[in-house]
Amino acid sequence: MIKVIRVAKIEPFIEKEDDGMIICRCEEITKGEIRRAVYEGMRTINEVKRYLRAGMGLCQGQTCQRLVQNIMAQELKTKPSELGMIQGRAPARPVEIDIFSNNITDVKEG
Amino acid sequence: MRRHELIVIGAGPAGLSAAIEAKKAGMDVVVFDENERPGGQLFKQIHKFFGSREHHAKVRGFRIGQELLQEAESLGVDVKLNSVVMGIYENKEVTVKKDNAVNHYKADAIIIATGAAENMLPFKGWDIPGVIGAGAAQTMMNIQGVQPGSKVLMVGSGNVGLVVSFQLLQAGCEIVGIIDAAPRVGGYGVHAAKVARTGVPFYLSHTIVEAKGTDCVTGAVIAQVDDRFQPIPGTEKELSVDTICVAVGLTPMAQLASNATCDIALLPQKGGHVALLSKCGETSVEGIYCAGDVAGIEEASSAMIQGRSVATYVCLKAGYLSEEEFQEKYDRYQAALGQLRQGMFSPENKGRNDFTVTDEGYPVSSNLLAHGYMTEDELDNFPAYTYKKAGVHPVIECTQNIPCNPCQDSCKVGCIKVGENITMLPAIDEEKKCVGCGMCVASCSGQAIFLVDETYGEGYATVAFPYEFIPVPQVGDQGTALDRQGKPVCAADIVEVKKSSVMDKTVVVTMKVPLAFVNSARFYKAGGQRG
Repeated sequence: MIKVIRVAKIEPFIEKEDDGMIICRCEEITKGEIRRAVYEGMRTINEVKRYLRAGMGLCQGQTCQRLVQNIMAQELKTKPSELGMIQGRAPARPVEIDIFSNNITDVKEG
Repeated sequence: MRRHELIVIGAGPAGLSAAIEAKKAGMDVVVFDENERPGGQLFKQIHKFFGSREHHAKVRGFRIGQELLQEAESLGVDVKLNSVVMGIYENKEVTVKKDNAVNHYKADAIIIATGAAENMLPFKGWDIPGVIGAGAAQTMMNIQGVQPGSKVLMVGSGNVGLVVSFQLLQAGCEIVGIIDAAPRVGGYGVHAAKVARTGVPFYLSHTIVEAKGTDCVTGAVIAQVDDRFQPIPGTEKELSVDTICVAVGLTPMAQLASNATCDIALLPQKGGHVALLSKCGETSVEGIYCAGDVAGIEEASSAMIQGRSVATYVCLKAGYLSEEEFQEKYDRYQAALGQLRQGMFSPENKGRNDFTVTDEGYPVSSNLLAHGYMTEDELDNFPAYTYKKAGVHPVIECTQNIPCNPCQDSCKVGCIKVGENITMLPAIDEEKKCVGCGMCVASCSGQAIFLVDETYGEGYATVAFPYEFIPVPQVGDQGTALDRQGKPVCAADIVEVKKSSVMDKTVVVTMKVPLAFVNSARFYKAGGQRG
């Protein structure tokens, strides 16, 4: 279990030069947005995912999870291991919505 | 609901090996893989693997993949391709997307062998087309037959960065440089050396600051870093490249293990978030196992053994193997894994770069770690390099304790000895007479063995070296000999070219050079300045 200690960041958010850099390519979330989310109270990677959709796109965080973790850890002055992993959820890969309606529970195979 | 005794997720080296082992014991097993073709990353690996014979050493990765597939086919392992596992639910229910439907399966046991994904590095412009992962470069070159670019900057000097750099060179690209934020080359020295001798510069303690370009990469700005890995202002340097290849490690793809509610932790030595495993590979959820890179980043050879090892335990639990049968197999696989997990680059030593001497007590080369090649002074500390004898004899520039011994097996006269512990450096038996067959040169996965003859005559010597580029030099060609950093040193005439099916496309080329350059000439370039 990940212990979350909620201490709001009291310092004001200060913009940085590279805030415009895209971190989550699928959802086009920038480094600045992720940094700001930390100042707005997000403490785990799952919270940032729900708050910003970073890691919620096509690749499901495969590329950006580590990057988001590192940015958060730097802002929170903590270790990435304290921030958790994006909870694995089905579907683990993108699946077209109409396929969901085509459920085969009695698979016949040769 | 369709039920199987064992569902394996992923038909890469670990998954296929696990399925083969289970099928052999008589289990009812099915393998799902989302790709069109099985084999995982093995089919992208065109280089020769390390290890010993039982680990398929000196065999190219894709051939190991072919052997594995044949074994799976001959046993009748059911491998379902284009089958995307969507999720793992309670009571080991697995949903699989196939043919526009969600298919439901159930299993008594599940082995997750989903492998790993590449890490990325964020820098200004990293989302411009032309910034690609090293795995993507391999897919383009070795699967699809497409050259990824023409002038490439490689970011990362680990084994992946070094191996892919060599493959890019083979595909006809120019490697403008290999950079790494660390002060030392991360991968095997022999991999670095075979790239360096073609003339590729290494920039250690350097990072990428920016990818230039709007629609595609037109350049890369690199800068030196301080000991906190921060770019030092004023050290920026712009390189003209059209491709930036990123090889900064892998992360286990543990999403399905997380989805199955397995206990997960971030273990840096495993490469990221992984399921916590028992010694037999079982997660905290009974009956769900992990094998291969998803359990911790290693390489394909250990993934294959891990897959087999985990499967033997699954077979034991299902009653397909007796306690004794299991123990015999398990011990054998663990011993084979143990061999691969030794030496300076073992998982235990991951990230360590403070070795000052080899296991034999020879001083480790600092130039190799800083520039990718060794100086002659440093090589002088290694007996297998300094060994001299009238006539042709091997000169071995293998200076790190890595688990590998094909040189020993390849020498029919027993001239080269590695011994029981395969991480020991090869030694030359002075009693045995080298016949100059060149098999050691071709079989060394690190391309670190040369055959030298100082007594060729008339002030000349010959140096035989491994060559894996096209066009292959022909006897009678006149060109330039290059040293270990790819600098031209003297004129060279090609006097012999050996090819054979056992050498598997590694050509052993012998060049004649003036005797004075016998210790420096290590590679060859057609044409160039002569004299």
